[in-house]
Amino acid sequence: MLRETYALFAREVKKTYRNHAVVVMMVIQPLMWLIFFGSSLTHLPADLLSSLFHTSNYISYLLPGELATGMVFIGMFSSMSMIQDKRFGFLKRILVTKAPKESIFLGKVLGAASRGLIQIPVMVVTAMLFGVIFHTNAFYIFIWILSLFLMGIGLASIYSVITMKSKDWQTPGVVSNLINLPLMFSSTALFPATLFPKWMQILSSFNPISYAAAIGREALYGGQVNFLYFGYLVFFSALFLGIGFLASRRWLVAE
Amino acid sequence: MEYTVEVKNLTLRYGSFIAVDNISFNVKKGEIFGLLGPNGAGKTSTIKVLTTLVPPTKGRVLISNYDVEKEPRQVRRVMGWVASEVILDDDLQVIENLKLQASLQGLYGWEENAENMLEYFKIKETRNKKVGGLSTGMRKKLEIIMALLSEPSVIFMDEPTIGLDVGTRKMLWELIRDIRKKHGVTIFLTTHYMEEADDLCDRIAIISKGKIVAIDTPEKLKAKAGSSIITLEVNQDFKASDLKGIKANRKGNEINISLKGGDASFTKILKRINLKNVDSLRLTKPSLDTVFLNLTGSTMEEQESSKIQNMNFYATIRRARS
Ligand SMILES: Nc1ncnc2c1ncn2[C@@H]1O[C@H](COP(=O)(O)OP(=O)(O)OP(=O)(O)O)[C@@H](O)[C@H]1O
Ligand SMILES: [Mg+2]
Repeated sequence: MLRETYALFAREVKKTYRNHAVVVMMVIQPLMWLIFFGSSLTHLPADLLSSLFHTSNYISYLLPGELATGMVFIGMFSSMSMIQDKRFGFLKRILVTKAPKESIFLGKVLGAASRGLIQIPVMVVTAMLFGVIFHTNAFYIFIWILSLFLMGIGLASIYSVITMKSKDWQTPGVVSNLINLPLMFSSTALFPATLFPKWMQILSSFNPISYAAAIGREALYGGQVNFLYFGYLVFFSALFLGIGFLASRRWLVAE
Repeated sequence: MEYTVEVKNLTLRYGSFIAVDNISFNVKKGEIFGLLGPNGAGKTSTIKVLTTLVPPTKGRVLISNYDVEKEPRQVRRVMGWVASEVILDDDLQVIENLKLQASLQGLYGWEENAENMLEYFKIKETRNKKVGGLSTGMRKKLEIIMALLSEPSVIFMDEPTIGLDVGTRKMLWELIRDIRKKHGVTIFLTTHYMEEADDLCDRIAIISKGKIVAIDTPEKLKAKAGSSIITLEVNQDFKASDLKGIKANRKGNEINISLKGGDASFTKILKRINLKNVDSLRLTKPSLDTVFLNLTGSTMEEQESSKIQNMNFYATIRRARS
C-alpha cells in the first residue's frame, strides 16, 4: 500500500512540476487575490481596520485566509486529473495491477494537497514586500503548514470522490464551483465572522477554511495557536479520507 | 492438461445488452491463443473479464487457477495486459513508466530485467525520453515490456497490431513468437485480422455477436471450410469434353474445380485437362474468411458494416430523443 501510494503520488508531483505553466498559474492566482483584493481596503480608516481585523494592514489578515482558499481551488483543480486518467485509460492500467484501490485515491489526494503548498513561500515573500510583519517561530510555522495540508487533504478527498463518480469534465467542474464559492465566503478567510449574519456564522464555525485561516493568524502574528482548531482539522481530514477510502473501493472501477 | 486460462459459461451484460453470451474455452500453457471476430463481437468485453476489470455477469473464469471474481489480486499478479489503445503516461520518461509499473506490481530487482528488455526490444535509446515523443510501434513495445516486467504466466493483448503499418505488424508478430519462446508465457490475443490469427496463433476461437462459433487450429478450421478451388478462365472454344470427365462448375467463361483430393491432386488435374482454350488459371486456398462466412452466414466486413449501421441508427434515435 505504501509503495504503491508513493509511486502514484510521485507521478502526480512529477507531472505537475514538469508543467511549468500550471505551476506558475497555481501561484499567480492566489497572488492576484492577495495583491488586488488585499489592497482594496488600503484607505479604510486605521481605527476601523484595527477594530475589524486587529491589524493596520488588511494584507496581513488576508494572507492566511487566502492561502487556505488557495488550497481549495488547487485541490479542486488537481482532482480533475482523475477524469483524465479515466479518459485516457490510465486508471485501467493501474486497476489491472495489484495496487489497492485506496492507494489510487490516496496518491491523488496527497498530490493535490502538496501542490497546494507550492504557493506558501511566494505568498509569504510577497506579503512581506507589502509591509506585513511576522512574529512567529518555527514550531508555529510547522503547525500552520500542517493545518493547511490537513485541510487540503480533506477537501481534495471531497473533490476526488466527486470525480470518481463522474465520466465527463463538466460535472465535477460545475459541482466543485457550486461548493467553492459558498465555502470561501462563509469562512473567515476574507472577513471576520463578526460581520456575518447569524446563519453564516454557524456555517463558518463548521468551515475548515475558517480554522486553517485562524491558526495561520495566531501562528504568524504572535498569538497562541488554538489546538482545538487544529484538532478539528485532523478530524475533518480523517473523516473525508475515510469516506474516500470507502468510495474508492466501490467506485474506482473500469467502465 | 495444464490450462492457464479456463473460461466456463461466461456471460457479460451491459444493462440488458448481452456483450458476451455464454462462452467456454480453455487456453493451454504456453499457447498463443487468438480470439478472432469483427468489431463489436465482444472481444474487448471478454478481455475485460479475464483481466479482472469487470466482474462476469455469469460463469467462471480461472487464470492460473485463480478465480477472477474471488481472487482478483492474485490474478493481477500473474498476468500482463496490453490494451488496444496504448495506455502510457506521456509526461513520464520510458524508464519512469517502467518504474511506476514495477512499484504498482510490487516488484523488486526489476531494473536489470527492464534494461535487458529495452535492449532486446531495441528501444534502449529511448530510455530517458518522454513517452509522448515515441512512435506508435515503440509505445507498443514499451507496453509489452511493462506487461512482461512481472514475469507473468499469461499476457492478454487486445488487438496488439491495430494502427500499425504492415512492416511493424510483422515485426510485432515475430516479437510475440519470440517472447513466448523466451519467457514461456501464454499469450491470449484478440484480433480482427484473419491473416494475423492464421499466421500467429496456435489455436483460434471465432467470436461473432458475443458467441463463440468455432475453436480449433487455423489449419483444421480451414480444412473444415472445404477444399482449394482451381478457377479457369476459358474462351468460347473450350468444350465440356476438354475437362475429361473432371467434375466442375461452369459459369459463363469461368470454371471452378474443387480440389477434393487435397492440394496434391492439383498437378494431376492440370495434366488431364486440355489447356488449349484456357486463358488463365488460379488456385484459391480456403481462408479463415470462408470459415467465418460458413459459420456465421455473413462475412466479417458485412457484420462490421451492419454493426456500424446499427450504431448510426441508435445514435439517430438518441439525438432525436435529446
Ligand atoms: N461499457 C459498455 N456499455 C454498454 N455497451 C458496451 C460497453 N462496452 C461495449 N459495449 C457493447 O458491447 C459489444 C461488444 O463490444 P466489445 O468492445 O467487446 O467489442 P470488440 O469485439 O472488442 O470490438 P472492437 O473490434 O471494435 O474492439 C458492442 O456492441 C459494444 O457496443
Ligand atoms: Mg475491442
